[in-house]
Amino acid sequence: MADSENGSSSQNSLVVKPINLECKNLYDYLKTRSRSTLEKLYNHPTICLAVYRELPELARQYVIRILFVEQPVPQAVVASWGAQAFSKEHIYVSKVLSELSVWQEAAIPGGLLGWILSVTFKRNLKLALLGGGKPWSMSSALEVDSKARDVSFLDAYSLERWECVLHYMVGSQQQEGISADAVRILLHAGLMKRDEDDGSPVITRQGFQFLLLDRQAQVWHFLLQYLDTVEQRGLNLVECLTFLFQLSFSTLGKDYSTEGMSPGLLIFLQHLREFGLVYQRKRKVGRFYPTRLALNITSMQNSEGPVLEEDTPKGNIVVETNYRVYAYTDSNLQVALIGLFTELLYRFPNLVVGVITRDSIRQALKGGITADQIIGYLKQHAHTQMLQGEVKQPLPPTVVDQIKLWEIERNRLAYSEGVLYSQFLSQADFNILKEYAETNGYLIWCNKEKRTLIINKSAHDDVKKFWKRYSKGS
Amino acid sequence: MGPPKRSGSKNEGKSKKRRKEEEEWTYEEDDTNEGEGAAVPGAAARDAEKNDQNILEDEFGAKDYRSQMTLKADNTSRPLWVAPNGHIFLESFSPVYKHAHDFLIAISEPVCRPEHIHEYKLTAYSLYAAVSVGLQTNDIIEYLNRLSKCSIPDGIVEFIKLCTLSYGKVKLVLKHNKYFVESPFPEILQKLLKDPVIQECRLRRNVENEDGNEFITQVQEKKNIPTFGSKPGGDQPDPAAAAAAASVPDDITNFYDKMDNEEEDEEESSLQTVSFEVNQEKIEVIQKRCIELEHPLLAEYDFRNDTINPDINVDLRPAAVLRPYQEKSLRKMFGNGRARSGVIVLPCGAGKSLVGVTACCTVRKRALVLCNSGVSVEQWKQQFKMWSTADDSMICRFTSEAKDKPMGCSILVTTYSMITHTQRRSWEAEQTMKWLQEQEWGIMVLDEVHTIPAKMFRRVLTIVQSHCKLGLTATLLREDDKIADLNFLIGPKLYEANWLELQKRGFIARVQCAEVWCPMTPEFYREYLGCKTSKRLLLYVMNPNKFRATQYLIRYHERRGDKTIVFSDNVFALKHYAIKMNKPYIYGPTSQGERIQILQNFKFNPKVNTIFVSKVADTSFDLPEANVLIQISSHGGSRRQEAQRLGRILRAKKGAIAEEYNAFFYTLVSQDTMEMNYSRKRQRFLVNQGYSYKVVTKLAGMDEEPDLMYKTREEQGQLLQQVLAASDIDCEDEKIPGEGGPRAGGSGNRKTGQMGSMSGADDAVYYEYKKNAGAQHKHPLFKKFRY
Repeated sequence: MADSENGSSSQNSLVVKPINLECKNLYDYLKTRSRSTLEKLYNHPTICLAVYRELPELARQYVIRILFVEQPVPQAVVASWGAQAFSKEHIYVSKVLSELSVWQEAAIPGGLLGWILSVTFKRNLKLALLGGGKPWSMSSALEVDSKARDVSFLDAYSLERWECVLHYMVGSQQQEGISADAVRILLHAGLMKRDEDDGSPVITRQGFQFLLLDRQAQVWHFLLQYLDTVEQRGLNLVECLTFLFQLSFSTLGKDYSTEGMSPGLLIFLQHLREFGLVYQRKRKVGRFYPTRLALNITSMQNSEGPVLEEDTPKGNIVVETNYRVYAYTDSNLQVALIGLFTELLYRFPNLVVGVITRDSIRQALKGGITADQIIGYLKQHAHTQMLQGEVKQPLPPTVVDQIKLWEIERNRLAYSEGVLYSQFLSQADFNILKEYAETNGYLIWCNKEKRTLIINKSAHDDVKKFWKRYSKGS
Repeated sequence: MGPPKRSGSKNEGKSKKRRKEEEEWTYEEDDTNEGEGAAVPGAAARDAEKNDQNILEDEFGAKDYRSQMTLKADNTSRPLWVAPNGHIFLESFSPVYKHAHDFLIAISEPVCRPEHIHEYKLTAYSLYAAVSVGLQTNDIIEYLNRLSKCSIPDGIVEFIKLCTLSYGKVKLVLKHNKYFVESPFPEILQKLLKDPVIQECRLRRNVENEDGNEFITQVQEKKNIPTFGSKPGGDQPDPAAAAAAASVPDDITNFYDKMDNEEEDEEESSLQTVSFEVNQEKIEVIQKRCIELEHPLLAEYDFRNDTINPDINVDLRPAAVLRPYQEKSLRKMFGNGRARSGVIVLPCGAGKSLVGVTACCTVRKRALVLCNSGVSVEQWKQQFKMWSTADDSMICRFTSEAKDKPMGCSILVTTYSMITHTQRRSWEAEQTMKWLQEQEWGIMVLDEVHTIPAKMFRRVLTIVQSHCKLGLTATLLREDDKIADLNFLIGPKLYEANWLELQKRGFIARVQCAEVWCPMTPEFYREYLGCKTSKRLLLYVMNPNKFRATQYLIRYHERRGDKTIVFSDNVFALKHYAIKMNKPYIYGPTSQGERIQILQNFKFNPKVNTIFVSKVADTSFDLPEANVLIQISSHGGSRRQEAQRLGRILRAKKGAIAEEYNAFFYTLVSQDTMEMNYSRKRQRFLVNQGYSYKVVTKLAGMDEEPDLMYKTREEQGQLLQQVLAASDIDCEDEKIPGEGGPRAGGSGNRKTGQMGSMSGADDAVYYEYKKNAGAQHKHPLFKKFRY
């Protein structure tokens, strides 16, 4: 009686999940901060307001209701505010509020548990909503700028600056105007990595995915990565975050003064300037203009929020049923992006002609871009003409299907973890175990001649027990 | 810090190589004429594609044309881009689309015409066609420039000039039964006459006029263009168009009007031409010589002034109403009151026969119609009786089965192989041939012109004397690029319709194309991977999952009340499927009588809703009732076959507008086999016409369907046994006599490449079957012994 399982199969190593780009929103970001950091952040009315705005609707209700209540409110009472049918939502927002340290649990005399708003948060949110205290918005410039900039200029500027970063990523030759700092952030964020041969940065899988995000998501993701490294640079995270949120509450086309900013913050401002979030004519000039990129930072998370006018170019890609792609663009960046998953054929002054092929898509898939991202990108930029005509679909459905099929084609192997059972002494033993596994649905594979079985890993214990019982019995 | 590398660059070379390999196994079609190139002028070999070779590629691998052209300031209101390699891209949503489209169709070949942006290509042939319908070099360049968003690359201007300056200037005209070489440009005739060969061909009537480089000068009279049925309705300006015109730059509209008028002018005002007469025996020689001199002769037939050949008394019936595109194509043919030779390309089912009938009725001289099967001979006769006043006495069929009395008839319908047949004929046929050869035909209509190899066509031309040739086809396309030769054998392409547009307007059916993926069963796939190539075909066609999918689809559509045709190139599969499902089938050896009987039943018998056919039915089987087509095996990667097959169900259906789709085209492919690659290649033509294939990986409802065959492993195993036992001949596609297989030899009349067929053994191969399969094949005589 010497059956033995030869340990779990080595399939484990085969189950490699591709590392995908993780997109955090404000909530995801803040909940990973420590309590004390949050406490510090809540010292600023701007952040309180921003956090408040980003809360789920139900959570905002709760906060407003207990904003002026000084004692803890029994949890049961809070729960009773919503209808029974929405208890799931209640539980969720309670969790959110706790994670963000907006409220804490507090014991109420009598043994009940209650919620109470964090003191700092309460004080500063009141300030933000009702006014009073020190002015919390940025100070406006002293006198009128002799060289005032209008909104369209700022848009063009921010676009150019931001594209500079993206250009660098896709490896266009043009690379002036990107600092070592920015490169460091890209490397840190995993969007690029150093080439093994010559150490020059090359784009990574996540980098490709990053490129296909929409503009706001890109900026936000990039800034989060930047904030990760901010403390290594000797800057104060709280200070920077506060400033960032102040920016997001500023007015487009208005200039602000740099007066009273700490040296650290001035460095931060220079970084933002590089990425196009603020415009400053000269480093030493005491004023700056926030751009649309900065204004949109906080409003990206919930789609129903008031997103400022789209500043990315409007739809300009035509996808035909014969897999041709025509993009009305002269932007190198967009051409490079389209080139990630199409085979480019011709370039005219204002048009790029390409074709989607199995090879080109597989190339992209190998690079870590998913079919959904490609389709998403094409949809997002679909030419207005595509939406007219009799079929109102931004993309030909057959092309969408085909791209997905090409992706599925690559993942035809299904992995399941299992435990190998072998070296049965008799056919009877083998049959018993096989039957047991089969009737319970544990069996993955078996071979009668070689008397081997592979059992679902999760069922291993169960089968082992059964085997012990069986061998004792016999 | 250096620039990041493009991740793609490493693999690029590899993917290109793979593409090349793919090209290599593209199927070679059945033309074996190697030495045909001689009859094509040197300019035809010119290729704008070559302008492109030293173009720089940009960093993304695209050809960068930006340095060669400048964007015009008002580019948004102009509709097209012209690439230095002759490709033209046209926005179909532009307000001037209609103008630009008409113009481009005249000067270039459509490459693909899907919904939004169309691609055209300038070729030597297309430009030849353009000049032959009367466009002038400078006008082409000027108008192209006005329509273009960017400046036109110099290379293209050069190319257009090269291809057009010498073309279309001289015409070979047949008047009063004499051949004349005619041209409005005396200097060109002078130049031609300096050539000794041409001088020899010249025929001088009055010898005393010896010094004579004098030409017969003649003023072409004002002529009316023949009108076909309805009058074009395009004359009244509609307000919408006027509104749209507001956004069109003036120069485009002005120029368009001017071009329009010019065309009319050319037809109506008198035009001075010079000409010399040509010796009738030396027509071939002079034609060939002129091509070598880069002045190909355009053949025109002045049928109104032809007094020698008797008029025949046919007219269109009043009920025959031409659709706008049919009329347009005929106007191109009869543009200046004479008949031009050329090819008209219309999708299958869009009414090619009516175009042919109308052309015959317009010329009103003896007409010869050539098609490629006995069945289509019958169908042409039907068409003539339906659309024109011709009756049985005027129409004569000349096939191996039906030999009507030819003498005195005015319309003769026959097949290519009948004419080019070289073996002994019956006395009767011999007489008919003799008569046929003696006649001078007014018009020769060549149906399905793409199917005939140049060699066979040559033979036809030497046998039959005709003044004007009209080629009809749906797919001017061959896998070998031999199709271009037709340009000089028949004439330029006169018109090509846009499939998608006809579909939108309800002239042809709206077809839903689907590619159904059938996974190979493990047993079949194991064999597939292990066996030699020829057997593979049979394995993927006989894939049990495919069989089941076919069965399910047939049942599904029978329940809907549809009429279904199932195509299989492989005869073994054809028979097996049909016999198993108990459906009638037609293939090569099926006799004419049986074919017609089956087709009649399919048309009128409500109990026969599905038939199985081999590739004999690819072309010119007119089955207006059919609206579902299932393809289980096909001829490699042939794009033409795919399009022809689609054509079987394209004829517009009743209630065409009501449903989104009213016809269905399924291609069943076995997953992970060569078939997938073939299928992708086959679809290219139709995809370029704007069709899209929906990939179906799972047929909804198939699992619930009761008693589909080959469900169990055992049954599948038996099927596998049968497939493995099949002989090599079974593994091949059917070969049609006259079409010639891929290996069929050089001479035009060789039929098939197999020894078996020489001894008449095509259908009598020794099979060995396992138990139940053979039962249906048992000869009745042997059955007796068993029971």
